[in-house]
Amino acid sequence: MIKVGIPRALLYYQYYPMWKTFFEELGAEVVVSSSTTQTMLSSGSSRVVADTCLPVKIFLGHVLCLVEKCDYIFIPAIRSVKRKAYNCSKFLGLPDMTKAVIPESPPILDIEIDVNKGKRHLYQAIYKLGQRFTWNPFKVRRASIAAWQAHLKYRQLMSSQGLTPPQAIAEMTGEVEPKTPTSTQATIALIGHPYILYDEHISHRLIHRLEQAHYKVLTPEMLTTEELESATARLVGKAHWTYEDEVVGAGGYYLESGADGVIGVMTFGCGPDSLMMDAVHRWASRLRITPFMSLTLEEHTAETGVVTRLEAFLDMIHRRKRRRVEVCV
Amino acid sequence: MRLGLPHMGNIYVVVKAIANQLGIDLIVPPPTSQRSLTLGVKYSPEMACLPFKLTLGNMIEALELGADTTLMPGGAGPCRFGYYHKVQESILRKLGYNFYMVTEEHGIMRMGKYLANGASLWKVIPALRFGLAKLKALDELERMVHKIRAIERDKGEATQIYRDGVKVIDNAGDYKSLNQAKREHLEKLISLPTITSPAPLKVGITGEFFVVLDPFANMDIEIELGKLGVEVRRSLFIGEWVRLNPFVYAFGLREKDRSHKAAKPYLSRHVGGDGWQSVGEKVLHAGDWDGIVHLEPFGCMPEIMARNIMPSIRNGLPVLNIIYDEHAGKAGIITRLEAFVDMIHRRKGGK
Repeated sequence: MIKVGIPRALLYYQYYPMWKTFFEELGAEVVVSSSTTQTMLSSGSSRVVADTCLPVKIFLGHVLCLVEKCDYIFIPAIRSVKRKAYNCSKFLGLPDMTKAVIPESPPILDIEIDVNKGKRHLYQAIYKLGQRFTWNPFKVRRASIAAWQAHLKYRQLMSSQGLTPPQAIAEMTGEVEPKTPTSTQATIALIGHPYILYDEHISHRLIHRLEQAHYKVLTPEMLTTEELESATARLVGKAHWTYEDEVVGAGGYYLESGADGVIGVMTFGCGPDSLMMDAVHRWASRLRITPFMSLTLEEHTAETGVVTRLEAFLDMIHRRKRRRVEVCV
Repeated sequence: MRLGLPHMGNIYVVVKAIANQLGIDLIVPPPTSQRSLTLGVKYSPEMACLPFKLTLGNMIEALELGADTTLMPGGAGPCRFGYYHKVQESILRKLGYNFYMVTEEHGIMRMGKYLANGASLWKVIPALRFGLAKLKALDELERMVHKIRAIERDKGEATQIYRDGVKVIDNAGDYKSLNQAKREHLEKLISLPTITSPAPLKVGITGEFFVVLDPFANMDIEIELGKLGVEVRRSLFIGEWVRLNPFVYAFGLREKDRSHKAAKPYLSRHVGGDGWQSVGEKVLHAGDWDGIVHLEPFGCMPEIMARNIMPSIRNGLPVLNIIYDEHAGKAGIITRLEAFVDMIHRRKGGK
């Protein structure tokens, strides 16, 4: 059986169930790399120039970890999934860059998704990818329909049941993820890309820490696409990048309602976030309803520093809430 | 309407020519200076790239001079530059300026109509033609000064003539005086006393277009290379964008298309900005250039991709990367250029 490797980084959190279904329907076995470790990060960052962003370095670490374990590595180049909104350069050049910096990697399965080029281009791209496994176009069609169904189910699980991507993936693959404690002090919204929030190594287990302290954690995936898009339109007008709704849209939405505090998490050197997080920041200072904290992470970030800032932020929210209660009484 | 625009190299000359023909009141902000940079840095998001900060500084200076409309290019694409106008607009409004920002977002036709200031198409087309003629003259002069700087006997004269030429071209009011200004300065450059040996090294400059084209942003790198006796080669010219020749487009004869094609084996698709072209130029010019100086502002996404891919092109063409931000110091850059040029000299001598 052909083994297809999928790195547990970047777009994994958005599309894994879809990709898994597609390859399994075509009769391949899917191998996923394990959770991020310090070794992965160091091996990944040793391959690229220093100012490459942290998520890409981690992605390469995952690829390096898969090198011996599979026949193909799946690295899509997702240019655009929405008309007139493109993706960050790093997603576009990912397959080529991986080839250039990891010459020992197994052949890369590369598919270009660009909805600006029309449906025909999309279908051709999918068929071309499927051809590596079967000559039968109907089988590819069936696999892609099943994959799309899986994706819809995945999105629905997250927005209706309030699951995080790792929880939803666990639910869909039948593993049991420990349930989170339900008693809550306050609600904290975390905004940022899923590959930062759910990668426990990058985010220093931010979600876990908040839940341990009995805070309810909200993430961008728990909002529907419409909610995200309308908030994005209010804050910045037309979205310039594909995956920035989850930062600006969610930031705007949670600042206005539903959360006692919002934490924006981004990595150093992220091009789109440098502007988008700034837009959320400015929105927060204009609204003056919900406290906002921006955390910028990179490979040199010390855990203690993150914890200290988190504690101070939570204390502030706590005090603010208490004062509000007193005023009401 | 009092139109203010940010600087990028000599582009103000072209816009000024068009605006004069159409009777638009154009406010050219003072040449980019340390003050523009300081102003820009003060109000920009800290991780925005150098072009953002410089253009914001220019716009503040233009608004201080009384501009009520600003012009900033933008548009969809992976590079951040296309989005800058929006962020800059909201920053400037927060600073209390009241103005109208013209961007490509409203559609290029509406933008043109607004800027034409009520002039008819019959007036707009000749104005554009005159602007393009100036652009062509500037580019020609620049190509020549790249050659002469490397071989002139008394360093600095060519640059002086070039600056003079830009000024005269800027002041030219019709085709006759424009052509005369161009010819005169080209001749002046050619007739400068030169040294004949050794033959100058040829070093290409590639990278992100703003820092390549703006001498303030790249700290006069072309002049510094010229002082070291290096002939600068460059395929990024503003003129390259607006060459409205259907044949050139249809047959992919543009420099850009050629370098994209050359880059295909290493980078198969556009990554925004000029990343694709930077990769292509390394492939394309292995034979005719002695080295490449690759410029980028700190945090530039497309060029980081290019820089990661470039080492996998093993064709013996040395590359020096220079990354600019508001803290870059000129002395450090000169030292690196000297070391790079020494290295190329030694390589050439050894062969």
